[in-house]
Formats: sequence, C-alpha cells, structure tokens
Amino acid sequence: MDLSTQPVQNSMKPGKWVNSTCKMCLHSCVTRIHITDDGVVNKVEGHPTAPSNNGRLCPKGNAAILRHYDPTRFKTPLRRTNPEKGPGVDPKWEPISWNEALDIVGRELKRTMDEDRRKLLPAINDFQKLFLWAWPAAYGNANYFSSVGNFCGGGYHPMNGFVHSAFAAANDVNYCNYWINNGGGDGFSSHLHTAAQANHVAKARVERNMRVVVIEPRLSIGGAKANEWVPIRPATDRQFALGLCHVLVYEKLYDVKFLKKDTNAPYLVGPDGYFVRNAEGKIYVWDAGDGQAKLWDDPSIKDFALEGTYQVEGKECKPSFQKFKDILRDCTPEQMSEITTVPAENIRRIAREFAKAAQIGSFIEIEGRLLPLRPAGYNFYRGAQGHKYSAMTNQSFKLVNFLIGAIDTPGGHVGATLDDQMQEIRGGCGMINAGENGMMKTAPHQLHPEVPFSYPPNETHLMGYFPIGVDPGHLTQMTLENPEKFGLNYKPDTMLMCHSNPVWNLSGKREKWFEMMRGMRFIVAIDILPNESNEWADIILPAHDLLESWNLTMIEPPHHEGMCLRQPATEPLYDTKSEEEIFNEISERLGILEIWNTIQNFVNGFHQKPELLLDPKTKYGDKEIAERKGKLWNGQDLNWYIEHGHAVTPRKPEKWYRPWEGMRLHFYIEDILRARDDLKKKMEDANVAIRHEWEWYDYQPLPTPKLDPVHEEPQEFDMYAITFKDIQINFGESIGNPWINDIVFKDPVHTTVLLNTATAKAKGLANGDIVRIESPYGSIVARVSASQGVHPETVCVSNALSRIATQNSAVRLGGGNFNELLPANLKNTDACSGQPETVAKVKLTKLTVMPAEFMASNSAYAHGRGH
Amino acid sequence: MAKWGMVFDLRRCIGCNACAVACKQENTLPNGMFFTKTLSEEVGVFPNVTRIYIPTICNHCEDAPCERVCPTGATYTRADGIVLVDHDLCIGCGTCVVACPYDQRTRIESEMLEQGLFNNGELTPFEKQGNVRFTAGTVQKCTFCHERVDAGLDPACVATCPTEARIFGDLDDANSKVRRLIQEHRGRQPLPEKNTNPRVFYID
Repeated sequence: MDLSTQPVQNSMKPGKWVNSTCKMCLHSCVTRIHITDDGVVNKVEGHPTAPSNNGRLCPKGNAAILRHYDPTRFKTPLRRTNPEKGPGVDPKWEPISWNEALDIVGRELKRTMDEDRRKLLPAINDFQKLFLWAWPAAYGNANYFSSVGNFCGGGYHPMNGFVHSAFAAANDVNYCNYWINNGGGDGFSSHLHTAAQANHVAKARVERNMRVVVIEPRLSIGGAKANEWVPIRPATDRQFALGLCHVLVYEKLYDVKFLKKDTNAPYLVGPDGYFVRNAEGKIYVWDAGDGQAKLWDDPSIKDFALEGTYQVEGKECKPSFQKFKDILRDCTPEQMSEITTVPAENIRRIAREFAKAAQIGSFIEIEGRLLPLRPAGYNFYRGAQGHKYSAMTNQSFKLVNFLIGAIDTPGGHVGATLDDQMQEIRGGCGMINAGENGMMKTAPHQLHPEVPFSYPPNETHLMGYFPIGVDPGHLTQMTLENPEKFGLNYKPDTMLMCHSNPVWNLSGKREKWFEMMRGMRFIVAIDILPNESNEWADIILPAHDLLESWNLTMIEPPHHEGMCLRQPATEPLYDTKSEEEIFNEISERLGILEIWNTIQNFVNGFHQKPELLLDPKTKYGDKEIAERKGKLWNGQDLNWYIEHGHAVTPRKPEKWYRPWEGMRLHFYIEDILRARDDLKKKMEDANVAIRHEWEWYDYQPLPTPKLDPVHEEPQEFDMYAITFKDIQINFGESIGNPWINDIVFKDPVHTTVLLNTATAKAKGLANGDIVRIESPYGSIVARVSASQGVHPETVCVSNALSRIATQNSAVRLGGGNFNELLPANLKNTDACSGQPETVAKVKLTKLTVMPAEFMASNSAYAHGRGH
Repeated sequence: MAKWGMVFDLRRCIGCNACAVACKQENTLPNGMFFTKTLSEEVGVFPNVTRIYIPTICNHCEDAPCERVCPTGATYTRADGIVLVDHDLCIGCGTCVVACPYDQRTRIESEMLEQGLFNNGELTPFEKQGNVRFTAGTVQKCTFCHERVDAGLDPACVATCPTEARIFGDLDDANSKVRRLIQEHRGRQPLPEKNTNPRVFYID
C-alpha cells in the first residue's frame, strides 16, 4: 500500500462505519464506530441521527478505543496461583481454558449453594445489562456487596419512585427558564447522558437565556457556568431547600390549584401521622366552602382547605400542607442561613425569583393537551442528597418543586425512567399505577422488588430492614464485625463480582474490607480491566468490551426514549465472552438455568409479548437477548437496529408530562410511616435486638430541619471533606485510560485537594503542601491547592485521587481512598433509604513530606502541577 | 473558495476537553501532545468568583508567523486558509515552534511515538495504523482536520463538542454561522497585538 496516498486522519481512512452505543459510563449515548479495512477500530463518534446526544460525545465516550486496546485487559480466563491476597499483591495469574474456569466456578458456587445460599456475596454492577442484577435471585440470594448511595442516590431513587413513579428526574430543558442545580452536575459535568444534557442545557442557557443557579460547596463546572454560584456548607442542602419552602409558603408564592387538585396536600393528617380515614378507609379533607369534613372524592366539595386545625372522627387533624407549614415556621431564611451559611437575603431572593419564573397560572398547549407551564425546576443529585437524612433531604428538594406546581409539567421537574421495558422489576418502570384514595401508587423500589424481612437476617447488609430503601452495601462491614449483635448466623465466604469495584466504592475502613476479602473461600470476577477488587479473585472470567458485544438499552434518557444498539465493531480481541454467555454457563453448572431464564423473561419484560419468551432450557447469547429487547420496543428485528443504530425519539409528551393525570401526587408520604411501623412490628415480633438502636427518626412523612449527625462530630474536626467527579471521570473507572489521564492530570482540580484560599492562609498552608486529612473514622493524605472557588469550611477531593494500588499500573494512585473517611454504621445511614453519609468532618495536619507509601511512580502526586 | 475559520463560544464551553480527546482519536496523538485543548482559570475572590474555560487551537492565522519564519517553506497556507506543514520539507529546526505566539506547535520526537500510549514501549493496533502519519523530528500542529473538511465534514473537535461551543465555517460567507456570530457578538481574535490575523474568534 502506498502510504503517501492514504489519508492521515483516522475517520477518513478506507473502512466502514457501524452503528453502536457508548458504555464508557452507564448511560447510552448513540455512536458510530469506524473500522479500517485492516480491522482496526480507529474512531468513535456520536451518531449524527440520535436526537439525544445529537452526534456528540463526552471525553470518556471519545476514549473508548483505548479501553478496547488496553494491554492490561484480561485476555483469557485466569486462575490465581499466589495464595497470598492483599491490596496491590500480584495474584500471579495463570491462563486456563474457559471450560476449566467455568467448571471451577460452577463447583465452588455449587458447594456454597449446598451449604447455605446466603453465603454468596454478589456484586453485579453492569447498568446497561440490568437484568444481570437479578441473577442472585436465581441463586436464591439477596445479598448485595456494592454501593448505590456512594455513586448516585440511596434516597434519590426511592424518592423519585414516591413522587414520580420513576427512577430519576430532571428539569425539563425544553421549557425551563430557571434551573436550580443543587449538588448535581446535570447539564454540565455528570449524571444523565452527560454529553446529551450538556448539549440541551447549553442551548437553553445561550439561546433562551435560561437562568442557572448552582448550590454547592465547590465551584464546579455547573457553578462556573451558572448565573449565580451559591456556596453552601456541606450537608446543609436540605436546610437551604426548607428555607426556600418557608419563603414560598409564608409569602404565599405557591400554586394553590395544583396542591389542591393534583396532590394529597389537602388530605387531613391525624395525631399519629396517618391520614384520617372513615371506617371504609376513605380519607377526609376539609371543605372550607361548607366548613365541614368530607371524603376526598365527595363531588360537593367547594374548596379543599390547605390550612387550619380541625376535629374529624374525634381526632384533631390538619391538612398535610398545614403540617408542612408548621415545620417551616422554624425554617426562616435567617434560621437556615445560620446552618447553611447562605445569607438570608439570598435565600429569600432566590425563592422569589424561582416563584416568579414559575409563572404560576400559565398554560401551554402541547399536542392538543393543555398543560400547566412552570418553567422553573429544582434539580439535585448525589452531593446534595448523600447525607444521613437522605429521604428527608430528597423530599425537601421535591417540595420546592411541589410548591410552585412544577412536578412533571412543561418547564418543571420531571420524572425519568431507567428503562421503560422493565415493567416488573420496580413495580412498573415507566408505568404509572393508581393507588388508594385517588393517589398515584408509590414505587420506591427502582432496582429490584422488596427483599422480605427476615430474622436472623438473610442479608449481610440487612436489606430486609430497608423495605423502601436502596441496598446499603456498606453495612456489611458493620454486621460482619459484630455478627452476634445483628443475629447474623452465617459468614459469607464466596463472592461473585461483575463489572464492580466494591473495595473502591464502599464506605468504611479499607483494612476491614481487606480482612473480609481475605476471609473469602472463593472469589470469581467477571471483568475487563484489573481493579482494586478483582485482584482478590481466585478466578477471572474475562468479558467482551463495548466494541465486541451486543446489547440493546435505554438507560435513564431524560428527554428521549428508545432502544440503542450496541454491536460488535470487531471480533473479540481476546478469548473473552459476553456476560450473557458467562451467566448461562454458570447457571447450567448450578442447575438453575431454567430459573434464570424465567427471571430474565420477567426482568426484561419479555412476558409482555409471549412470542419473545425465552425457552427455559435454552442458553441465549447477547445477540439473541438484544434482538428480543428491540422487538419488544418497536417490533423491529436486529437488522433494523443494525441499519438505524437506535430507535431514539424525543420523549412522548404523554409519558413525560403528567403521566399520572387524574391521580394525586404524594406531597405528604404516608407510606414512609407505614414502612416504619410495619418494620417496627416485624422487629418486635421477631425480637430483633437492634430494634432499640434502629434509627426510627429517619422515617418522616415530611422533612424537618434536624441536623445530620455529621455536624455533631467532635469539634477538633473543624473542616468538611467532600468528594466530587467531573465529566472526564463521571461514573466509573476512567483513570488509567491514557487519554483521560492526559486531560485529568493536567488540571489542578484533579491533582490536588482544594481549600479555600483564605482558609489555607489561616491554616498556614501553601500550594503544594502535604496534609493528612483525618476524620473520626480514617485518614488520607493529599497535596493541597488554594482556590477561591471553595466554601471556607470545605476540603474538596477529586474522585481521581481516590484510587489505590492495583495490578493496573496505568491507574494513578491518590493518597488513599476518600471512602476511608466515611463511617459504615447505622448512625450515619438513613434507615429509611439506605443512603450513607458522604461528607466527613475532618482535621488537617501538615506533613513535612509525602509518606513513602503514596510515592509510587504512578502516584497522581508524582505528576501534575499546583495552581 | 471558502476561507475556513472557527468560533469559540465561551458561554457554552464547559472545559470538558472532549475536543482534545476527539482530536487525539482522530489524529493518533502521542501522550502529552495536543492539537487543541481547553484551559481554565479562576477569576475573582470568594464568594464572587467564577472559572472561565478557554479552548485553544492553531489559529490558522492569515499572516502566520510560523509560515514567515519557516526556512524550507514546509509551512504553507492553502487557498482556503488552512495552514499546514509539509513533512517532507520540514527539517524540524523548530523556528516555527518559537515563532508561534500561541504555543500551538510541537516537534514530534521518535521517543514520543515509540513509548506508546500505554507507556510500555509497545504500540496498539490503533497506534500502528495511526502513527504512519508522523515523521519523527518534524513539527506538528492542528490541521483543522483538512481531510474531513475536504470531505464536507466538521473537524473532529467541532463534531464532538457536547455544548456546540465550537463552530466551524466559511469566514467569507456573510450568511455563515461563524460570520453571523462574529458580527453579532463582536468576536475577538486571540492576541490581536501580534498582528497575525487569526481565523479563530472568541465570543461570549
């Protein structure tokens, strides 16, 4: 070949383009992939016809090729030959055949199954093949050894289920004019389809002058692009939101009509916190027009009272709106200012601006439907909601939106599904069901059905005690440390990981996690690259990467819907398999293939079209599962998807806006009290010893301003440590990818921990100084930089600085893992939602030199620069 | 004949460097080397502070100092305004690296290519197919993705930019988006005092 006549640019070389979908984070931006005539993948671009990401990709999506060609990939099944296990200890892998590896895995998992099925700790974290999360159910196990709340939202997902019957939520970029972002990166740096949301939000900002107000301890990308950055003391976001609610309620800036007609705000609440019902269970409201109590659906009601105190059925009761107003009496901007450090006048002004922007009373016609237009929304995510009282915190943000009538309405704050087709896994993904007394049925379970209560507990993380929560994987550290106290009558000794890194992502002491890993009789990991957790494995089962496998998915696309195709751009580079094949083979060896296929039918929604049902005895590969998902979505076969790449369209307005029309939303969440009392009774009946120290306060039907316990740590811990991620390192392991390293480790935001300039000066710290950051629970070491863009009481630790030693030397190490600073205990876990506290109180001690243990040649501190 | 130019909309740029990585993919750039990247700078004093993100690239100057100083004529300007380096003529003297006021030129060394993206002295198939474009000892820079442009496509950085902060087009066409943006928002060229007349404009 005469090279001089060949193009030099990769995308212009002779070859072909194939349609596919990104998986460099969990979301599903549609791509097209260029492969040269010699079969080399040499360019990945956003797909120009996909209306969600609009042909765009974030830096991670642009870096997929280097994951594909990463020389540290697992290339064959591997068996450990080094009996010694430890962090950074070389397992001395020995390649073995698939048959041998699967036989070993089958034999060891069968042994555990025969002894006690509960002894398996699964950690399955593939979000684009969510059905895999259900595999432990086929095994007969509901353990979960990984974090949810540390990534995203322990309280966030259940609250979206309560309010929207949805997994996530986003402000409606189509019409929003006033976008509040609290502790989340939507539209700027992280969360939902980052490249897509950044595209749509930039257009709204620039072309429509949408105002952005960002509330965060650190000047994030969103903060930098905002019209206003509101620095806030960490872990006081709920109090800020309640301050806004105070202004909205006491200055009567709320949407009366919405609250009366579309929510349970007028329902009367009795002294026990439950709604007041008649003998048939129907709920009373107060008709202010006739001055008497009536049943909620009485057609003679003239005016639903939102305020007042009444006597009904011999009980003193108040509309739930009045209950909230009572709480808000002690949430004045002045009071909330003392907690949040946000000036009271700013809280007041933002509330008024927000209410004004909401245009309460306005309507818009969309596809023949007249809808309330509320172009203002309060959006939030991991940072804002990652606190002990997470359920209350999430609800306080939702209530800001409730008050201005912005729930699920054009311009407002709208529920987003995880995957519309997974109807049963969460009680209706994308499905709205009618509940009792005119209300929408709540759907707090968004990832799996409720795990039944048990005592002795069947789950090491006590999932049976979180009937409306997300898996608190970190609690396994607490229960295994003291099994008698929790009545735990078995010791897990087997682990199955699939695209998961629990040793990295869980709160608590690393040394204790290491000890637990050492105690495992057998660990198998399905993965692509070495990480902190899979280097403890006995067997590695190598998976195809995203350029070698089939899938169809639509993960949390807020403004769009439709399945996106992943297809192999090349033959597998190595002796790898798809996750589908791997789980089939393991299932067959365990004799659970039939159950597994039945569960897959249920979870993937194939039961909705009987012709798609999997035959229980057949092993279906990734291509066959993908084809069925496509047919379920739009009846099209795989060839259609191969040609088009995706079925993405703008979200249908009937699904996006007020899909619950005619039902009432949960302004007041009685179900939380019901969950508390059911659990209390079960614990009493079973005589569960820890019921006396269970955190019963955490279950509130309305949020209160009570301080999270992190604020009550001893005074010597005078600073707050937070961690954060930016777009280059959003969701999952990117550090180690040379292109990501090349942009991340040039940026002082990711090579040093950030302190406010005045604080640094007051503490005698200069740029480049080394500090030990110590919480009551653990410590890390870091190099500091001063920044004006940091709340004065805060230390900001990039997630890029949290990696610890592994076999993947391209991964740059930080000075320890941030999660080491966080407690893995009940006191700092939301009993309602399972969310762990993600902020730590810390003290800083200046060190003269970087400790040798953090000075490996691949340390992040051996590179980069200060400010 | 079009005269190609680029507009950076600073209101849109979020500093994510998707542009830089897309460029690395498109052009198989070795580690540490960029044809484009985004800089950031904090401005102000707490709490009245923000951070600005500033994309940078070869400005394909109309009066390009790199071209003026090149002793062999390796650096040349196409009729459509794109400034390129003919690697057969480049002797790697580095004069242009010094002359460029925007620090946009890099002399590529054989070690940069041999070390490999994974720093292990081995080249992935991706690098093997891409590195053939480079001649060690010559000077490299952004080409405005001239091959893509000739095929009617946007440069890779423009095509991927999540926020559409990069707009590429014909500066001679009064109706082009770049011209309209420059006029409506009083587009500014970088370092105008250098009298290079860049074909890149910033708006905010």
